[in-house]
Amino acid sequence: MTETAELQERAQKLDGMGTSLLRKEDARFIRGQGGYVDDIKLPGMIFGAIVRSPYAHARIKGIDKSKALACPGVLAVLTAADLKPVKLDWMPTVGGDVQAVLADEKVHFQYQEVAMVLAADRMAAYDGVALVEVDYEELPAIVDPRKALLPDAPVLREDIADKKDLTHGPRTHPNHIFTWQAGDKAAADAAFQGAEVTVREEILNPRVHPCPLETCGCVASFNKATGYLTLFVTTQIPHLLRTVLAMLSGIPESKIRVVGGDIGGGFGNKVPVYPGYVVATVASIVTGAPVKWIESRIDNISTTGFARDYHCVGELAADRSGRIKGLRFAALADHGAFNSHVSATKLPAGLFSICTGSYAIPNTYCRVDAVFTNKAPGGVAYRCSLRVTEAVYLIERMMDVLAQKIGVDKAEIRRRNFVKSEQFPYTTGFGWTLDSGNYHAALDKVLEAVDYAGLRREQAARRADPKSATLMGIGISTFTEIVGAGPTKVCDILGVGLFDSCDIRVHPTGAVIARLGTMSQGQGHATTYSQIIATELGLPASDIVVEEGDTDKAPYGAGTWGSRSTPVSGAATAVAARKIKDKAKKIAAHLLEVAEGDLEWEIDLFKAKGDPSRFKTMKEICMVSHTGNLPAGMEQGLNAVAYYDPPNLTFPFGAYLCVVDVDRYTGEVKVRRFYALDDCGTRINPMVIEGQIHGGLTEAFAVALGQQIPFDESGNHLGNSLMDYFLPTAAETPTWETDHTVTPCPHHPLGAKGVAESPHVGGIPCFSNAVIDAFAHLGVTHMDMPHSAYRVWQKCHELGLDRR
Amino acid sequence: MKVPLSRTVALAVPAERAWTLLQDVPGVAACMPGAKITEQVDAAHYKGVVAVKVGPASLSFRGEIEVQDVNAGSRSLRLLAKGTDTTGGSGASMALAARIEARDAASCTLIGSGEVSMSGKAAGFGARMMSTVADQVIGQFAANFAARLQAAPEAAPAAGAPAAAAVQPLGAFGLFWGALKAWLRALFARP
Repeated sequence: MTETAELQERAQKLDGMGTSLLRKEDARFIRGQGGYVDDIKLPGMIFGAIVRSPYAHARIKGIDKSKALACPGVLAVLTAADLKPVKLDWMPTVGGDVQAVLADEKVHFQYQEVAMVLAADRMAAYDGVALVEVDYEELPAIVDPRKALLPDAPVLREDIADKKDLTHGPRTHPNHIFTWQAGDKAAADAAFQGAEVTVREEILNPRVHPCPLETCGCVASFNKATGYLTLFVTTQIPHLLRTVLAMLSGIPESKIRVVGGDIGGGFGNKVPVYPGYVVATVASIVTGAPVKWIESRIDNISTTGFARDYHCVGELAADRSGRIKGLRFAALADHGAFNSHVSATKLPAGLFSICTGSYAIPNTYCRVDAVFTNKAPGGVAYRCSLRVTEAVYLIERMMDVLAQKIGVDKAEIRRRNFVKSEQFPYTTGFGWTLDSGNYHAALDKVLEAVDYAGLRREQAARRADPKSATLMGIGISTFTEIVGAGPTKVCDILGVGLFDSCDIRVHPTGAVIARLGTMSQGQGHATTYSQIIATELGLPASDIVVEEGDTDKAPYGAGTWGSRSTPVSGAATAVAARKIKDKAKKIAAHLLEVAEGDLEWEIDLFKAKGDPSRFKTMKEICMVSHTGNLPAGMEQGLNAVAYYDPPNLTFPFGAYLCVVDVDRYTGEVKVRRFYALDDCGTRINPMVIEGQIHGGLTEAFAVALGQQIPFDESGNHLGNSLMDYFLPTAAETPTWETDHTVTPCPHHPLGAKGVAESPHVGGIPCFSNAVIDAFAHLGVTHMDMPHSAYRVWQKCHELGLDRR
Repeated sequence: MKVPLSRTVALAVPAERAWTLLQDVPGVAACMPGAKITEQVDAAHYKGVVAVKVGPASLSFRGEIEVQDVNAGSRSLRLLAKGTDTTGGSGASMALAARIEARDAASCTLIGSGEVSMSGKAAGFGARMMSTVADQVIGQFAANFAARLQAAPEAAPAAGAPAAAAVQPLGAFGLFWGALKAWLRALFARP
């Protein structure tokens, strides 16, 4: 065997970074052996079910529990009045507001939690719910956020009507939450005044829901003897949730154990702390019995963790050649009845100011006004939680609007405005420092792969043919994401910084257990993290176990959302592994009786420079580290913990292209081709990345073409079951073509940037741009999502395209 | 969701007799399939129940009725009904204006218009069915109202207790087919 082949074989045995190792998690998932919260059965466990309001806005005049209490199996009915003595009727939100745990005197959105019925079994609990009589006085509801700040608008939140601010600056109206601005308004206004070309478009990002397969739920178990609370729960943030529970309940944080278990999809829906968790916890503390509460599908879509609901206005100023000279973006944000959007102290509208996208734009200004309406709280979801999806949608749509206005090709307008590769690190007008990128190369690669010029020729021919039954649209999206929250200097939740952690313990035989502060919901963390350790330590990934989500075991971290796991915990993993490797090197030097500087690393061993016969494998060192044969003064063991506070966020990017054919008689949109090039820096497991991109594109397809949470004028939810809510299956989902470039992140130990949200963020505008491009020659500059057949048909009908 | 109601019914009785029945809330309620007055609170306020089937859901509403603006001169009144279904999942209210117009000495017309508004599950799931269900209900009501006038031409309704027996869920099978037929008609109708 040649030396190269031998090295290759040793490297392959590790299944380290860069290999498409099959996911460790799937062995149990495909056998139906995942451990989800509803699988948990504890001795003596009782069940909670929630009584919910049929009204969007109503005063509660009385609650009669008597019939429910007489129902066989029903043990108790908890209302706000029962929570008041323990001061748990209201809870703080991560947005600086408070939220009713159970509705106190008033309900503020339809399906809001009013009471919890506790019963010996699940069906008895539901029977009890139907017997709780609540006397409501219906009040006028605010459904349209544009009406929330009218002088005569009904006051929704009487509890905070007099509060001058909700931790994010002065309020101007009882229904106003905050106004947040960034950039330089005067400079932007001046740029618009002198501009050769300006464009303006009103662009809605409608309220949607990620609708994970597993709904939310928990089992709370309080041991009265030990005072120890265990909460098995669907959460993306186990450690932060433990902190919140400690703050709420007064139980010492050391006596609270939060266990995430397997999570059947999160997408931001499992970030918030929900009333169901809190009431179940109180119920367990009161009864001493474990209490299970599981949401129904309708509860999930109606009340927990919605996304978007941003009513935007985009404005660009440019010269005649399409070079952008100024940007003014505004959004009216519908936050629902309580402000529970995750708002880092300094960033109440999240990372919305990433809205300059991949472009070098001077003179920028943006503003977000957030208001209360009679809808469920949230805004944290969905596959990019911090308003990046809204920002990227707006800039990518506006690039097309500008291109159409001046008659420049939609790929060319992007090229003319891209940040050039030599400009990185590039600081945007809003102050974000884009770490690395190569936008021109990415776009050019895609255009060549799909024969863009040929597609445009085909489109021109189609448009010239009056008999064509379809319209052809080409959508481009060249997005820049901002992920990996985040540096503690800008990012925190409830005062806790968004660092993350990894605790690695190496056993004598070279097997490893690693525990992290993140929380997988299907991202394949156990696989990806073990591959990082395998490469860093030269120990096989097959023997590396990764654990997350049990706060008694894992070190503190901020959980998994915002594509932060690889950028933050992946970095912590590399740093912890390198601490171990440093110690291992000392042991190797001791054993080989050479200076550390005379050693070099090779895949899985340290060898003496210039003498390949003298080496110590990592496995040998693992065993020695548990003996007495160590350098003087060195402790046994080969363990390390790292807490990683990233110096900057990371900025993955991509170039997507979509071709659609729109049936002019039915409005049906057929996706002919979708080509997605992603650059997430260093690629750890290409197959896992591919899977994440497929998932993100599918959810982008869902949002762009069908998802929407509609309400009627009284605040009734009109789409909260899978009868109405669009969840694409294999039958509807297009085929994805994926590609990549690699531009490593300069500040991440591995050069990785995070990827799971990119395809969702970049995919949505790509679909929209394709559908609207199909109508561009007819003067159409924008159509709001979702581009369902009926809505697209309406546009066809309006333009007379459906007449034969 | 809101469903507008509007119906004109020709009645083969003198206007004054129809007007007398129209003012008799328990009597009117008895004409409403599935409805029943359970208690008279005062001259203008009543409590009652309505059972209705919307698609697969059986709802039983319990609520209050307020009689407003009774005008003998124009033979008109307004009704405001509000209720919550007994499982707490849905709410409903109805504002109705009704009047009797004489056509000649022996016949008259009942003209009703108003709006039903639904909340909760009934609105979420029933939205597709609601307007056809409402049409069916009004149609049955009109038929019952006319039949009642014909059957007891001289009865003095002031005596109270309505003739209707046990409360039947509104429509049930017949109503479902009626609604289905109406929906199918609407589906294939040219706009």
